[in-house]
Amino acid sequence: MTTIAASGLSVATPRVVVVPAVRVSAPVRLNYPWKLGSMNRMVVVVKATSEGGISDKVEKSIQEAKETCADDPVSGECVAAWDEVEELSAAASHARDKKKAGVSDPLEEYCSDNPETDECRTYDN
Amino acid sequence: MAVSTIYSTQALNSTHFLTSSSSSKQVFLYRRQPQTNRRFNTLITCSQETIVIGLAADSGCGKSTFMRRLTSVFGGAAKPPKGGNPDSNTLISDTTTVICLDDYHSLDRYGRKEQKVTALDPRANDFDLMYEQVKALKSGVAVEKPIYNHVTGLLDAPELIQPPKILVIEGLHPMFDERVRDLLDFSIYLDISNEVKFAWKIQRDMAERGHSLESIKASIEARKPDFDAFIDPQKQYADAVIEVLPTQLIPDDNEGKVLRVRLIMKEGVKYFSPVYLFDEGSTISWIPCGRKLTCSYPGIKFNYEPDSYFDHEVSVLEMDGQFDRLDELIYVESHLSNLSTKFYGEVTQQMLKHADFPGSNNGTGLFQTIVGLKIRDLYEQLIANKATARAEAKA
Repeated sequence: MTTIAASGLSVATPRVVVVPAVRVSAPVRLNYPWKLGSMNRMVVVVKATSEGGISDKVEKSIQEAKETCADDPVSGECVAAWDEVEELSAAASHARDKKKAGVSDPLEEYCSDNPETDECRTYDN
Repeated sequence: MAVSTIYSTQALNSTHFLTSSSSSKQVFLYRRQPQTNRRFNTLITCSQETIVIGLAADSGCGKSTFMRRLTSVFGGAAKPPKGGNPDSNTLISDTTTVICLDDYHSLDRYGRKEQKVTALDPRANDFDLMYEQVKALKSGVAVEKPIYNHVTGLLDAPELIQPPKILVIEGLHPMFDERVRDLLDFSIYLDISNEVKFAWKIQRDMAERGHSLESIKASIEARKPDFDAFIDPQKQYADAVIEVLPTQLIPDDNEGKVLRVRLIMKEGVKYFSPVYLFDEGSTISWIPCGRKLTCSYPGIKFNYEPDSYFDHEVSVLEMDGQFDRLDELIYVESHLSNLSTKFYGEVTQQMLKHADFPGSNNGTGLFQTIVGLKIRDLYEQLIANKATARAEAKA
């Protein structure tokens, strides 16, 4: 069963990001639609890239903060709402930096952690 | 690792063995499992010298430039823990572990919304847990530290943190709680002035959908009361304060690109000797650009003077302007004293190593690097001291 977070997919190329619960097996799991009827039913959660998700959160939180503060600019709610905006903006900028820093190819990531596995062995000689 | 003596203690369960190696002062605890052959080794390092550094900063955690420079001075790149929670805020390198104090939030984002408090408020943080865990790590015991996920705003399952040689706690309240303050061997406060903060936040957030100049301003204004009440007072306890102010070289500059950075160093702190220019304790104003060195606009200006800060004696080293060439940097370095470098040009080398980091061409990068070297010096002095104390105790 595939669930697609449609609202977050504002990016032109939606990327399938599989979030494995435990990082022990191979990082990429494929969803074979023709196997859906059989016993091995895998759940693949398709999310927009984390950057898209956070950006939406930031936008939403700004809207909320504006609404909350429209009633009372000095109340605790207003302050807490803007604090949330700040926190999410910081998280968004970190995500952007991380993305810029290194485009994480899941295989590269996996191999840097586990160079001895079959997928990652390199034969130089 | 050479094992010199083996003890089997009666006090413990008979399936436990205790081995100790006198040369490295480490105790390995083995528990024999009857079912499996797995050995549980609990490494208790009795006399591991863990120094704790506190860094108070309003920005995010662990990924900040200061941290990366600091860990780089000690060698090795700091990376998030392998195989753990990908949203972990912790950074681990060979010698250093950086812990984000946001992990000690007692209220997650939804809890804070409910209780109408900001993350800056001490009510949102568990200082008891912070104190206990920092104390444990300082004495060489591993801890299970909670994780605050900045993306989801929830508290995730804890991760295991091994006691490192250098523990850095970075966040909003490292010096807030008195007990935690006493555990710190050195503390730094990063004080960004309001104008610079505004300029930086504009740069950071204008690219973000939904943000406008007003929303950024409103966000800063809303947090200001809590910030002034809870975070700002920590300045007085810091051993070193890095103040970032707008430049005085360009009139009416509001871009925040050229900065005036002041390194305020407390006098009389054990193992910490402040950096000085030309003559310790005197007042010096220095413009290095002239006949020997040509600089482009706006140039560089240095100031050094003794001062009083919150009733403490301090020495202030100030740099206004920007470096744009390598030789400017090395020229400046050759005229500063007490840098705690191991070789001539080490500061320049460190700055060049991370030339892509923000602040690499002005006082922020320079002073962060210098503070990093000072911390390294402090660490080595502490180790040497403990070693001599142990040697004397034996004799």
